[in-house]
Amino acid sequence: MTVWKPQDDGYADLSSHDSFAGGAPHNTFARMRRDDPVCWTPYAQGQGFWSVTRHADILALNKQSELFSSAHGIRIEDQTPEEVIARRTFQETDGREHMMARIKVAKAFSKTVIAGFEEQIRDLCVTILDKALAQGTFDATKLIARELPMQMLGRILGTPDEDLPWLVEKGDALIANTDPDFTDHVLDKMTTDEFRMMPFNSPAGAELYAYAKDLMARKNAAGDTNGVLHLIMQPGPDGSVISDTEFRNFFCLLVAAGNDTTRYSIAAGLQAMCHQPELLGRMKSGAVWDTAPDEIIRWATPALYFRRTAMADVELHGKTIKAGDKVVYWFASGNRDEAALDDPYRVDLSRPANKHLSFGQGGPHVCLGMWLARLEVRVLFEELSKRISRIEAAGPHQFLRSNFVGGIKSLPVTVHLS
Amino acid sequence: MKATWTLPDGSTKTADVAIGTNLMEAAVANDIPNIEGACGGCLSCATCHVFVDPEWLGKVAAVGDFEDAMLDATEVERTDASRLSCQITMSADLDGITLTVPAD
Ligand code: HEM
Ligand code: FES
Repeated sequence: MTVWKPQDDGYADLSSHDSFAGGAPHNTFARMRRDDPVCWTPYAQGQGFWSVTRHADILALNKQSELFSSAHGIRIEDQTPEEVIARRTFQETDGREHMMARIKVAKAFSKTVIAGFEEQIRDLCVTILDKALAQGTFDATKLIARELPMQMLGRILGTPDEDLPWLVEKGDALIANTDPDFTDHVLDKMTTDEFRMMPFNSPAGAELYAYAKDLMARKNAAGDTNGVLHLIMQPGPDGSVISDTEFRNFFCLLVAAGNDTTRYSIAAGLQAMCHQPELLGRMKSGAVWDTAPDEIIRWATPALYFRRTAMADVELHGKTIKAGDKVVYWFASGNRDEAALDDPYRVDLSRPANKHLSFGQGGPHVCLGMWLARLEVRVLFEELSKRISRIEAAGPHQFLRSNFVGGIKSLPVTVHLS
Repeated sequence: MKATWTLPDGSTKTADVAIGTNLMEAAVANDIPNIEGACGGCLSCATCHVFVDPEWLGKVAAVGDFEDAMLDATEVERTDASRLSCQITMSADLDGITLTVPAD
């Protein structure tokens, strides 16, 4: 069994989802970092964009949010101003407007509040693992990685347990909207404009909107104060409360942002364990838990990029980014940049001062759910490593067809119990 | 200019900090533990929390509204000496400032 190696010839088309169907084209990223760090990338389905691939440049641009705005779309796909407004969450706002929304939810997702969910997470992990590991040989994305994040999100939000399978399904359709395994409405192959005004350009978004509205009504009627939704509906420091629309948008954003990112982090960690067998021993030593979650999440880089729009002309590395141009921060590339990270193709569970960019570090939109993601990843691998003496690949793994979500969608493994 | 951090283990670390640099950036550049600075100083993360030592509290600029709200999201509970260090910019007045890093 060999460690996974990038398959591309160094000239992959980053605008094409197909270029990512065999894993991220890291040979192309390496060439761009070396020769063309601000690379104009043509896009057959719309306006081309600038690909920013160096770790240091992503950090430097990401904090300049007045110059590189989130308010005109954060994906490569072009949107009309009407679509931007219809599908907007606070992730697609800038400056004061963004801060006003973010401070309302910051405490609910703070390290301390999230730490209070550790025992619940552990209970879910134990149940999921006991069921999966008993199978011996199985698809680890499906039986382990897919289950925890959405069940956990349900707990945190306070949704009824019986709704969880439905939520997992809609969450998948919402975001993996370029892989035919997950949606009937493959985004770049769609022949209809019917869903363009809906969240994430998908009918699942509309269904989640309806669900969120109904859930809020039911919880209010029942006086149910479980979960962070209750915290979010409290008045903020200035006395303002979250509106119905803000609430529904936020709910969809959480389902989209918190579900498959964490899932694919877990899947990538399991894949790394198959290919670097020493990782299990490191986990069993118990000495790596402060650092292992970040390293697994770096290795995974589930959010391959986020996009901004330039608000003025900017010169960078001899190129002129024009006002209105789309600028894409390739976190996947930054996370393999030798200038910032030693030996980036090796998983080092005790990597010191891990300056990875998986959470969009360095800017105002840095992942709100990062403490939850880290906690879920830690507890899952703690419980897994206690239970097994070996894990190995039982066949080739398959990647998602998406240049936005980096993920192993099927991962056959065989486990040997301790 | 200089700034000194008292670390969770009780030891101290002093570093040169240029005027105009914020104290989160200075801490990250000097590998001060427990100062992550995840949002790059954009007031979104509260991972740059410090306690300003009493004799310096009167000299640093006042806490802003957003900073005040984000101080509710720190890992170690806030006190009257709490600041998000990305909001403190080094100036001639602050030369020699001393800060305490929260233990985790
Ligand atoms: C390993 C798992 C995760 C990864 C890799 C990840 C990645 C990211 C990234 C890269 C961003 C920045 C987007 C930008 O710059 O525009 C982001 C933002 C966000 N994430 Fe996560 N995320 C993860 C888990 C979660 C979880 C579990 C939740 C919630 C339950 C969550 C909620 C959010 C929200 C609400 C934002 C928007 C924040 C804002 O715009 O201020 N994420 N995430
Ligand atoms: S660095 Fe994020 S709030 Fe200071």
